[in-house]
Amino acid sequence: MSTATQPAAFRRLRVRLARNGLRVALEAGRVRFLSVIFSTLVVSGFAFGFSLYLFGQLTANAIPFKGAIVGFLFDLLFFTLGSMLVVSTGVILYASLYTSPEARYLLSTPARADYVFATRFQGAVAFSSWAFVALGVPIFLAYGVSAGVPWWFYALLPAFLLGYVLLPGSVSALGCVLLVRFMPRNRKQFALGVGAAAVVLLGVWGYRAYWAARHTLVNQGGELETLIGRFELVRSSVAPSHWMTRGVLAAARGEAADALVQLALVWSNGLVLYLLAAAAAKRLYRPGYDRQAGGGRGKKVYRDSVLDRVMGLLVFYLDRPTRVLVVKDFRTFRRDPTQWALLILFGTLMLVGAGNFRSYMSADLAVMDKYAVSLMNLGGTAVLLCAGLSRFVFPLVSLEGRKFWILGLTPVSRDTILWGKFAFAATGSVIIAEGLVLTSDLFLGVPAQLLGLHAAALAVVALGLSGLNVGLGAVMPNFRETDPSKVVVGFGGTVNMVAGLGFLLAVIGLMVVPFHGAQFGRPLRGADAAVSWWVYAGVPAALALGVLAVVLPLRAGARALRGVEF
Amino acid sequence: MIELTNVTKRYGPKAAVKDLSLSVPAGELFAFLGPNGAGKTTTIKMLCGLLFPTTGTVRVGGFDLVTEGDQARALISYVPDQPFLYDKLTGREFLQFTTDLYGMPAAKARVKIAEVVELFHLDDFVDDLTERYSHGMRQRTVFAAALVHEPKLLIADEPTVGLDPKSVRELKGLLRRLAAGGTTVFLSTHTLDIAEELADRIGIIDHGRLLGCGTLAELQTHAAVDGNLEDLFMAITEEAGRETAASRTP
Repeated sequence: MSTATQPAAFRRLRVRLARNGLRVALEAGRVRFLSVIFSTLVVSGFAFGFSLYLFGQLTANAIPFKGAIVGFLFDLLFFTLGSMLVVSTGVILYASLYTSPEARYLLSTPARADYVFATRFQGAVAFSSWAFVALGVPIFLAYGVSAGVPWWFYALLPAFLLGYVLLPGSVSALGCVLLVRFMPRNRKQFALGVGAAAVVLLGVWGYRAYWAARHTLVNQGGELETLIGRFELVRSSVAPSHWMTRGVLAAARGEAADALVQLALVWSNGLVLYLLAAAAAKRLYRPGYDRQAGGGRGKKVYRDSVLDRVMGLLVFYLDRPTRVLVVKDFRTFRRDPTQWALLILFGTLMLVGAGNFRSYMSADLAVMDKYAVSLMNLGGTAVLLCAGLSRFVFPLVSLEGRKFWILGLTPVSRDTILWGKFAFAATGSVIIAEGLVLTSDLFLGVPAQLLGLHAAALAVVALGLSGLNVGLGAVMPNFRETDPSKVVVGFGGTVNMVAGLGFLLAVIGLMVVPFHGAQFGRPLRGADAAVSWWVYAGVPAALALGVLAVVLPLRAGARALRGVEF
Repeated sequence: MIELTNVTKRYGPKAAVKDLSLSVPAGELFAFLGPNGAGKTTTIKMLCGLLFPTTGTVRVGGFDLVTEGDQARALISYVPDQPFLYDKLTGREFLQFTTDLYGMPAAKARVKIAEVVELFHLDDFVDDLTERYSHGMRQRTVFAAALVHEPKLLIADEPTVGLDPKSVRELKGLLRRLAAGGTTVFLSTHTLDIAEELADRIGIIDHGRLLGCGTLAELQTHAAVDGNLEDLFMAITEEAGRETAASRTP
């Protein structure tokens, strides 16, 4: 039997799945389908507008070392997005290759292991990178508009972005195949060892960045160079993120040869890594599948955990049945490695965002910088909270799936089930968000009024987003889907994300921005400005918005759940 | 057709299959019985090449599943207890994908697809997306896909679960015809009536060990039990359970 027809068979499979999926989406309702497109465009439009404003400010205010700053920011952006792609592709690919029913079906046929790998790889990369492309394209378009780049800059952008997506995806795929095949049987020890090594490395790098940041001021070039130099990892000549930055900036300057060299570097390395991953899959995928199916050292015994008891204590204010439901949700969450791996990623990003290296240098910061940094921390944390809740909380009702009848037959009302999920989401998000931002604000030495405003704003954002995600998740569930990441990218998930972003912008704009705005108007290195009552004028409206964001979606969700049939 | 020689499969310290040796000739309908957790599905997955034996060899059609897996799998069709279909493909597209995977020439594939569509009465829904199929429709489509490429060995794990009586009867007739036509059928089931009615030979496994293998009459003689397959099954597995408990007692 020849395997020569298999590549074409898989290509036809992907085309048919895409075509039929699109047809079903249109048949389900053009309005719904177009709403998803529109919502995505809104998010991209927001990214474009915000980026255009920031790049414009760099030019308008004649910020020194603008080129170095833009280059540095692009390096960080590509490095961060690339790192996120590695993790998200790995998580999706692991599930796709080793635990999905489709993998079991394909591996029981004469399909070659590398062809199965290739088709799953394409799906995983496409799925994990759409957000990168949706956000990356507007940012670079904005840069192009503000910098007055040649027309072919825009033509090269898709080539750069697609080439870069291939690179971390291939690294992730190779790592996934190798890890599953060769990971030590004692996974706990291995994970602890890797985690400890990562913490040590991060600590060393963070310490060096801290001391460099201590002596840095924006208008003193020597220190800026030193600071940027501390991020030598992301700016190294062997870092793909740096090839991207060099290529994109060369294209912006009209230097075609340079741009194409960097583009070729990105694509050639991406393709080589992909070939390596496919070759590894050809030899190691099936043995890895066998090894993964066999489990670790032996039968794992799942017991009650102290974490479950802590979760139960945190929701002490709820009645017992609701508390039990919250602990059930937490337990299923913490036992799913694909969920908490992504949570760790989100948590790290929030930590980096809120623990901005300049946060700890209150004595060296100008008044304006202090307020700018604290606002950035708050905004960044709120956006990541929105993304995190969308990813982990919105799918909660959907993930009950066809097993919902089990809960439905218990003497617990469906309203209680929904409130339990709200309590689960709200408790975690309030604790994490408040802890991060308030700690950072204390280090920054912001005044007590602002500290209180930030605390109140974050509480409103966390509670409101929790209500939105749980409520909308119940109004627009997807009970057929068992993969939470696929629930999120559906129509409901997209609407939820856009609503959440709009909500947090409104709350932060009403509650917090007036106070910061009053400080931005003062001279550099001046004392804290006295604030008048008008900076608090938006607080009642924001509080009312928060109450609506909790009550309305949860009411609608409860009504929807009561009417669901199984 | 099937040769398992001293096959052991360990999951960590636990052996799911212990020193299993079994031979099934071509054209035989072999029923594989055992309680839950006995090692039936592990054995079946080793026959498909999804799992590799820790020790021993598994051969199908003379090909070793570990070293010549692709050639062996070209002869096999596996229908699991929870069959997989692509939700966003029609039944016909799934059949076409299957023929492509097994390298069937296009002209022959068209003929065979038309045959199985008629055989399994798929006409009414074969051009609908499979996400809209009922359980019975899914089962018939999966069997159609399993047979469209004319396998030498059909492995079916609990094929009658969720089927209505009419469908069960049709399935039994199909399995009989397949075996009569030279296809080896390896059937894993809890439904002892079906095994007793259809199987040429029966294998009983428990705690990873093959406790008995042969025709119903041979098993009755071996176990010194006169009753039906259910009596035989209970006697053999309970006896094995007592022996295992005795061997653990200090």
